[in-house]
Amino acid sequence: MSLTITCPICGKRNGYEFRFGGEERGPRPDEEGLAPEAWCDYVHMRSNIGGIQEEWWYHLDGCGTWFRIWRDTRTNTEVNGPEKGTT
Amino acid sequence: MFGKYERLWGKPALRSSYDTVIIGGGLHGLATAYYLARDQGINDVTVIEKRYIGFGGAGRNTAIVRANQRTKENLPLYNEGLKLWPKLTDELDFNLMFFNCGNLNLAHSEAAIGALRLQVASAQFFGIKSELLDAKQCKELIPALDVSENITHPILGAMYHPPGGTIRHDAVVWGLAKEAAKKGVHIHQGTEVLGIDVDKGKVVAVETDKGPIRTARVLNAAGGYSPLIASMVGIRLPIEVLTIQAMVTEPIKPLLNHVVSSGTYHCYAHQSLKGEIVTGAHMDPWPNYTTQTTAHYIKHQAEALTELLPCLGGVKFMRIWGGLADMTPDMAPIIDGNDPIEGYYVDCGWGYFGFKSGPITGKYLAEFMATGHRPEILKPFRLRRYQENRLLGEIATPVNYGPWN
Repeated sequence: MSLTITCPICGKRNGYEFRFGGEERGPRPDEEGLAPEAWCDYVHMRSNIGGIQEEWWYHLDGCGTWFRIWRDTRTNTEVNGPEKGTT
Repeated sequence: MFGKYERLWGKPALRSSYDTVIIGGGLHGLATAYYLARDQGINDVTVIEKRYIGFGGAGRNTAIVRANQRTKENLPLYNEGLKLWPKLTDELDFNLMFFNCGNLNLAHSEAAIGALRLQVASAQFFGIKSELLDAKQCKELIPALDVSENITHPILGAMYHPPGGTIRHDAVVWGLAKEAAKKGVHIHQGTEVLGIDVDKGKVVAVETDKGPIRTARVLNAAGGYSPLIASMVGIRLPIEVLTIQAMVTEPIKPLLNHVVSSGTYHCYAHQSLKGEIVTGAHMDPWPNYTTQTTAHYIKHQAEALTELLPCLGGVKFMRIWGGLADMTPDMAPIIDGNDPIEGYYVDCGWGYFGFKSGPITGKYLAEFMATGHRPEILKPFRLRRYQENRLLGEIATPVNYGPWN
């Protein structure tokens, strides 16, 4: 069992066509008055959820689209997220 | 000879309080427990393991030991660790099957030779035996190696590190568990940690599925699962958890008498004492906790191995397995304690190189946990280094060693 990913343009494809783009961690913090802790948190720290997480992918060997999916990190299966399509 | 054997470690009842609770019955956890009891006189210690000891990375690695890293922070630690194995065999009264065969890191480009030159010089600075070889010398060491121009990435040379080798990883786990238990450490297998209670910035208890344990000191040594344990106290870690796969071939006659590895081919291999070629691949390029194995890597390993060692063509793979690697951006571990929570210690981020460093880290960590004073050798590995932008230079191209590398 391996990973398949649904590209918004190309549909469901083999996971090896894609490049992982990191877990979703919100917008880049404002540089104005940014504390080292907050910057480190954004740049380095990860939630590493053992379960369903929202994350970014890039269709490297395909159409080149950046998009978000929800995936269960315990099984590598793509799932419907609570807010899919709303953001 | 085939008489009745005693159990190596007992099955004591879970107490309601311990001086120190260690989460994770792997190599790092057991080593810390062992050295707490041996050197620090603290044996009111329990090792809590969700599955069974050695279930995680301690039993899934490819058992290679070496001290051929790149930085001045890492080299002394690994070097001391390497020298510890023969002593441990005696001390634990357990045959760890240390096979001092030496490691060969292949270079396939001028740039790689340059990088190895720096690594060799760093090693020699610390008195670690390491030398640069050309392709002909590689062939002399491993006659089965293809050093011709006919492969995808021809071999230009290698870094040869004679003090390295392989060790039987299960034996290390069992040996440490046996001796730790003998000194009074309680090992609780099949026990899951559900939470860590913190009161006024101090650890007060660990919640398990077998009941709560009052304690003032807890060590997160859960390897690939350490981010999940850290989240129990609200700490996020600069770690990506990636599945890494390894496999063994059917046993064949002795032909590979060194550990050989190639970064370019994403492949490393050695021959076990049983004759199997043990080989490891690169990590999954996305984070997951699955430990799934994939045809992708079997194909990859077959391609890489038959290019480097053409005589392996037609040899069958017998077994494949996956384990978790907790990768930090600078490929160096996180060993920290009392920051920001008093009594909460962490030993994680060891990625795919946590096996070789287990006992030595346990030794220093035991000193740290017993005295509260951080030993000099562990100082570079604090979690705050990321905040202070003092990432270690274990890879030449920081800043992010993640799934995309």
